[in-house]
Amino acid sequence: MKPDMTRFLEVASTHLMTKTAQVLAPGYEQSSLLVLGVMLAAVRHEFERAAAWRVEENGALRRLFAEAAPAVRDIELGARLEEAAAGEDSSLIVSDLERNNAALRGLLIDLHAHVEEIDSPEARLIEEKIWRELAASTERRTLPLPGLT
Amino acid sequence: MTVGDRTDASAERSLEDRLAAYLSEQLPSAEDIRVVDLERIFGGASRETYRFVLTYREEGETRSRRLILRRDPPGSLIETERAVEFGAYRAFHGTPVPVPEALWLEEDPKWLDYPFFIMEEIVGMQSNARFASQHAKKLAPQKWTILGEIAKVDPAAVGIDAVMEAVGPDECWKRELGYWEKQIDRNELCPQPIARAAIRWLRRNPPLPAQRVGVVHADYRTGNFLFDEHGVIRAILDWEMAHLGDPLEDLAWGLNPVWRSADGRVGGIASREEAIGIWEKASGLRADPHSLRWWELFSSVKGQAIWVSSAKEFTDGKNQDLILAVAAWLMGNRQDCAILSELGYAS
Repeated sequence: MKPDMTRFLEVASTHLMTKTAQVLAPGYEQSSLLVLGVMLAAVRHEFERAAAWRVEENGALRRLFAEAAPAVRDIELGARLEEAAAGEDSSLIVSDLERNNAALRGLLIDLHAHVEEIDSPEARLIEEKIWRELAASTERRTLPLPGLT
Repeated sequence: MTVGDRTDASAERSLEDRLAAYLSEQLPSAEDIRVVDLERIFGGASRETYRFVLTYREEGETRSRRLILRRDPPGSLIETERAVEFGAYRAFHGTPVPVPEALWLEEDPKWLDYPFFIMEEIVGMQSNARFASQHAKKLAPQKWTILGEIAKVDPAAVGIDAVMEAVGPDECWKRELGYWEKQIDRNELCPQPIARAAIRWLRRNPPLPAQRVGVVHADYRTGNFLFDEHGVIRAILDWEMAHLGDPLEDLAWGLNPVWRSADGRVGGIASREEAIGIWEKASGLRADPHSLRWWELFSSVKGQAIWVSSAKEFTDGKNQDLILAVAAWLMGNRQDCAILSELGYAS
């Protein structure tokens, strides 16, 4: 699709912030437009990577579940982990990937709570891997947006 | 009239006219009451905030006053009790804790569709982060000294215990954690594995009982102050989440990594150690390291609950103020990063 969606969003964001917002008096409407401009810049960033990081994360979670399943002591949880580990993303539509991601992250919570209660080196190893995956999940979601105080 | 439907006949009258009608009831001896220069202020996500000028004639004189209207929105970042916020302004007005004068609280939706309150506007002030950074040396001692003053206040002595639920010293953490966990339960649009892990840690490692049960502002950060051009804090705003609890909760909230500047200063104006030292001296309390760590991690769980709730409000369409969406996008992942950092798992 040309012009690129990312280029369009970049132009639209800049236009809103440097032209449209500037003709308004300082106040609620101008601030709303400036925020909209910042958000469009973030959308541009997310548009480019949206499917990629979700596919990456869903794959990482399935691999983690495959490693963890033999170590869990709850039969039902073990079966859920094995089933999830065998799954795949059959669609690259972002909302489909999101749905799969939510199911996998929900299962990750159950696994994490379970291994925290087990006193064994295997459990600690899985726990360590879970924390590493959670740290990686925040890196995947980072957006180039300003901060608050 | 149906509350929540602003397209009905009464809503067709301008907000200025309706506000003037309300104020006429409150000022029976005044004549020719007018509301002019009504302007919405960007930001306040829990209440719609407007500034306006009230003019009227009384005792043969024309008088005017600059005021602030805080009105409940259809949906908000957080469900808060306006009576609590109004009560906090009333309680602290005229004390070493600078707040605007609260004037009228109205719960009846017949006037402006939703409950609201009116207070004085502190004119000519600012809350700009860059300005705060430039005046950091002056602002930092004031910021944490005022917080110490809040911690010292006897709630019963200022009458605020009438609008805030009592809590025992060993119950403060349980009540707050339970409340904010429930907000995540109710409002999460997707699972929150990092916040859930933090909640489990908090339950396994409780803090010491509060040294003193006091008033907790509950959103005490640099962005919620107004200061003058000399760097003097003139007002502490946004008391909508105020409650009785452990004063360490307020200290910890202000130390949260999401409010730090790029150079690591808490609230953009001081080192963590400096902030804690000022607060301990002013409050007469000790910031026990384990308890403070507990409350700092709790602050991140509470923060995540707020961002999760803002995403829900925006998605449900109850309130589509852009601030709700930007808050969720801007802060949600940062709050998760803060939790990881506080638990020692930052990448």
